[in-house]
Amino acid sequence: MVHDMVSENAVIVFGRRGCCMSHVVKRLLLGLGVNPAVYEVEEKDEEGVARELEAIGGGGDNNKVQFPAVFIGGKLFGGLDRIMATHISGELVPILKQAGALWL
Amino acid sequence: MNSPTSHFVPPRRMGVYDPIHQISMWEENFRSNVSLSASTLLIDDAEIKFDNQSEYASHGIPGTSKQYDQEANRLADKIQRRLAQNREAARKSRLRKKAYVQQLESCRVKLMQLEQEVDHAKQQGLHIGGTGLGSNSLGFAASLNSGIANFEMEYGRWLEERNRHTLALRNALSSHMGDVELGELVDGTMNHYFKLFGMKSAAAKADAFYVMSGMWKSSAERFFFWIGGFRPSEILKILVPRIETMTEQQRSDISNLGKSCQQAEDALSQGMDKLQQMVSESVAAGQLEEQTNTPNMSTAMERLAALVSFVNQETLLQMSRILTKRQAARWLLALGEYFQRLQALSSFWANRPSKPAECLIP
Repeated sequence: MVHDMVSENAVIVFGRRGCCMSHVVKRLLLGLGVNPAVYEVEEKDEEGVARELEAIGGGGDNNKVQFPAVFIGGKLFGGLDRIMATHISGELVPILKQAGALWL
Repeated sequence: MNSPTSHFVPPRRMGVYDPIHQISMWEENFRSNVSLSASTLLIDDAEIKFDNQSEYASHGIPGTSKQYDQEANRLADKIQRRLAQNREAARKSRLRKKAYVQQLESCRVKLMQLEQEVDHAKQQGLHIGGTGLGSNSLGFAASLNSGIANFEMEYGRWLEERNRHTLALRNALSSHMGDVELGELVDGTMNHYFKLFGMKSAAAKADAFYVMSGMWKSSAERFFFWIGGFRPSEILKILVPRIETMTEQQRSDISNLGKSCQQAEDALSQGMDKLQQMVSESVAAGQLEEQTNTPNMSTAMERLAALVSFVNQETLLQMSRILTKRQAARWLLALGEYFQRLQALSSFWANRPSKPAECLIP
């Protein structure tokens, strides 16, 4: 189920229900013109989902998943830190375009 | 007001009539003398009367001795009453005095504590309501939390170092220092800012509210406080004009950086709103320390504060990528001077003599 969601969406955010940090990611992506899919993880399911996401991985050596976790183009992109860093440096938008999440 | 303690004589050594001497020293405060002096006068009167009576009695006719006894008894009663009143008044005076002395003692202890705190703060290199850079209001609660006390101490040192960097940059630019050396100075200044971000993250673990409210900053800086720090976009807007010559590419890059900062800030502000809402709801529902909510809340706050620091850090890094070393030096100099001026402004306003109300709005 998780696997399908990752492959079917250009951008998907996995975050804890009601978490402020997930909210920040969502608002940032929305502000850029991206309409991300969002999967809200219940506290009891966290461990399981995290492991599934790590299995999908594809994001590099250190695959440890922390919530919120962003997948772009079917691959694990990273957490808030990576999103912010790449956004400030201007790298994020091209990546999103390439994944088909942004068209302008 | 003189201190009565220097004249203090323990009551035990005095006879009943000596309190008058003791009491007259703090007459203004305790107004107890009136009844006492009155009592002594009455006793004197009684004694005179008694003497008269005894003279009368010595000429005495047996028939008048009974009357004499009655008079004598009444007089003795009066005397006893006066003596009792005297004792009572003296006792009350002693109690009042004791209360007064206790009040003085507690004030003395408080004063000692305050003096200690001021010394402690001075050692940390922060100026209290004074000359020099900024009047930082030390959170009174802060000294109770060792993580925060530590942070404040470190911040004092960090400030001094920051001022040294600013001075060095000014000298370097005016003396036309070589690019390599200047580059090192720029890197050193930037690393110094990164160090502060780390310090703040550690402090947020000790007390997230403290970091979020910017308690260690001067009042003028707090006026601009956003979420545990300054808005990166504001810094760019204010300080970029200070860099005179820029290529088109640079202007465009900086403009994009400004936009990115603004977008990041918007997202973070919304995250902050959500966090505030969560905290407010929890507190209103009476869910405090016992609830599992709270560890999540403080974690959320720490993470948000850390994220803001991180965004600031990334902004600084990006600026250093866009600018040449010389331009970066000018920018960092402007940044340092800007904060110094804010601190000076705080100090200046805090130490102005208070003005009378200038207008009465009907």
